[in-house]
Amino acid sequence: MLYLFQVLNGLGLGMIYFLISAGLTIIFGLLNFVNFAHGAFFMLGGYLCWSLTELTGSFWISLLAGPPVVALLAWAAEVTLIRRIYRLPHTFHILVTVGIALILQETTIMIWGPIGKSIPVPDGLQGIVTLWNFAYPTYRLFLIAFTALIGFALWYLLERTRFGGLVRAGSESTEMVALLGTNIHRLFARTFALGVGLAGLAGILSAPIRGIHPFMGPEVLGVAFVVVVIGGMGSFTGALLGGLLVGLVQSLMSTIWPEGASLMIYGTMAAVILLRPYGLFGRA
Amino acid sequence: MNATGEPRPVLKSPGHSGRRRDAFVSLCSGLPGGPTAVVAALLVLMPVVLPSRTMATEILIFAMATLACNLLLGYGGLLSFGQAIFFGSGAYLSSLVMMHGGFGLLPALLTAAVAGAILAALVGALAIRRTGIYFVMMTLAFNQTAYFIAYTLSDWTGGDNGLLDVPRPPLTLFGVTLADLSDATAYYVFTAVLFFLIFIAVRKVIASPFGSTLIAVRENEARAGALGYDTRNFKITAFALSGAVTAPAGALYAMLLNFAPLENIQLSMSENIVIMTVIGGTGSLLGSLLGAGSWVIISDILAEIWPRWLILTGGALILIVLYLPGGLWGGVESLMRRFRGGGTPHAPDGIPNNDGSTAQPME
Repeated sequence: MLYLFQVLNGLGLGMIYFLISAGLTIIFGLLNFVNFAHGAFFMLGGYLCWSLTELTGSFWISLLAGPPVVALLAWAAEVTLIRRIYRLPHTFHILVTVGIALILQETTIMIWGPIGKSIPVPDGLQGIVTLWNFAYPTYRLFLIAFTALIGFALWYLLERTRFGGLVRAGSESTEMVALLGTNIHRLFARTFALGVGLAGLAGILSAPIRGIHPFMGPEVLGVAFVVVVIGGMGSFTGALLGGLLVGLVQSLMSTIWPEGASLMIYGTMAAVILLRPYGLFGRA
Repeated sequence: MNATGEPRPVLKSPGHSGRRRDAFVSLCSGLPGGPTAVVAALLVLMPVVLPSRTMATEILIFAMATLACNLLLGYGGLLSFGQAIFFGSGAYLSSLVMMHGGFGLLPALLTAAVAGAILAALVGALAIRRTGIYFVMMTLAFNQTAYFIAYTLSDWTGGDNGLLDVPRPPLTLFGVTLADLSDATAYYVFTAVLFFLIFIAVRKVIASPFGSTLIAVRENEARAGALGYDTRNFKITAFALSGAVTAPAGALYAMLLNFAPLENIQLSMSENIVIMTVIGGTGSLLGSLLGAGSWVIISDILAEIWPRWLILTGGALILIVLYLPGGLWGGVESLMRRFRGGGTPHAPDGIPNNDGSTAQPME
């Protein structure tokens, strides 16, 4: 029973990691851009959740309004700054986004203070669900169901809509898509906003479970990198399976060896690198 | 699909390393005695000009870490977000062998250097199994690993509280006490001598065939490999050297503070070291001193007035990457050239890319 509990926890956690990594991967796939500010936007999502919940008294409004706000900020960053550096090498992307992450982190401390906050579990999802003799927190069940829904919606968006088609075609050949008459600037900005918005959404969803603090960005970024190193950058399936694997490892290890649970995430990555240097779904 | 993070054609500048060397030589010829003399002069001037000896020592310690980062980034084209692994382990290890092993100053520093080299070779060997952004992401993930290890081993590292009561033993050689370092000036002199030796050593390494080959690997790994060089070995050696310099810097820092905080091994420390390197200027060793110096001085001044000064650092990083890829030192170089009016105009050296090419500054 304890293990079932931890497996469910791991699924929820893994789906959150999936959302973050999917955003990172979608951006990288189309834009060939590495976003080191991804973790900072995740943190921002969490803080928006706190503020919007305080302001309106409802977690649901923050869940609805938070991701668009994060996406809008990302869109603004893309249009003003990031757009200028696509053609530069990855090292430049990394340094500029590290700069953005620093600015976001320090701004967050200026607005919300350096001390972490906790966010109450939303109304209607407090308490536990009991099945026979097994009890599980309602919010965590909601989390699994909701993230699965988002995951499906994302798959539908990428695989079955015109926008998704353009994103996938652009990942293969940006020039060709541009030549066929697509406004590539707009597509890039929207994709960047979508990917970062996913990080914001993940930040909001995880806030009631793990709380928020201004220095959570780098931690989350590290985990997202582990997921994409395991799953292969640019691979949607890789992000899903990598995220779930990391979530399950962390969750199961936390019963066996609580202090080493975070450590084991990175151990998993090292093992994957040694056995399969290009990740489970990556291409050489 | 260009989603594997492997090299894509980038703005290419053939023969860049040659021009870099020329620029470096021409600049040095303008300074009496070259960079080594400049560094020697700065080492003498710093404690006089700066408000405190402790600050001057701190600058040199971070300049060592920055030199080591520069060796990887500026010359090897390897952007490592794992430098804090070596900095932090150096601090912990040297403190532990002094506190529990009865080690003296020099043996403790040597332990840090050897351990740093081994650790860096290990991290490097794993991380360079992938190139490009995967490499960078893995160095970052390894930094998180090291952080969690230090956090978990709180019996040894003190965990969140840090390792307290780190001693600063006197300088002894073969049982003879040469100097007591408890005084801030004495410790500065010791650090300065060490820094000077390391600076000369790193310069020698860069000027050696190893250094030239490392630059060749950065510029075009496939070509260097085709010429018969084992590029893997060169990168791992560069990592080992970098670790061997960074870890003693961490050790010196612990002795300066009499304390080894957990922050030493945190990702933010790696970020700081990279930022100092880039702001100072990659690919020039004097730039490293300039980067570390401006970081420590600015943080010291601003930390009291405005604790959120890191916002400015973030902004400065973005501006430098966009408009001054040669860093502050690159800016100084072009100013000096303009001031003198001589010489051919020369674009500042770009930040090298992991793909093995060097980007040009934006127009």
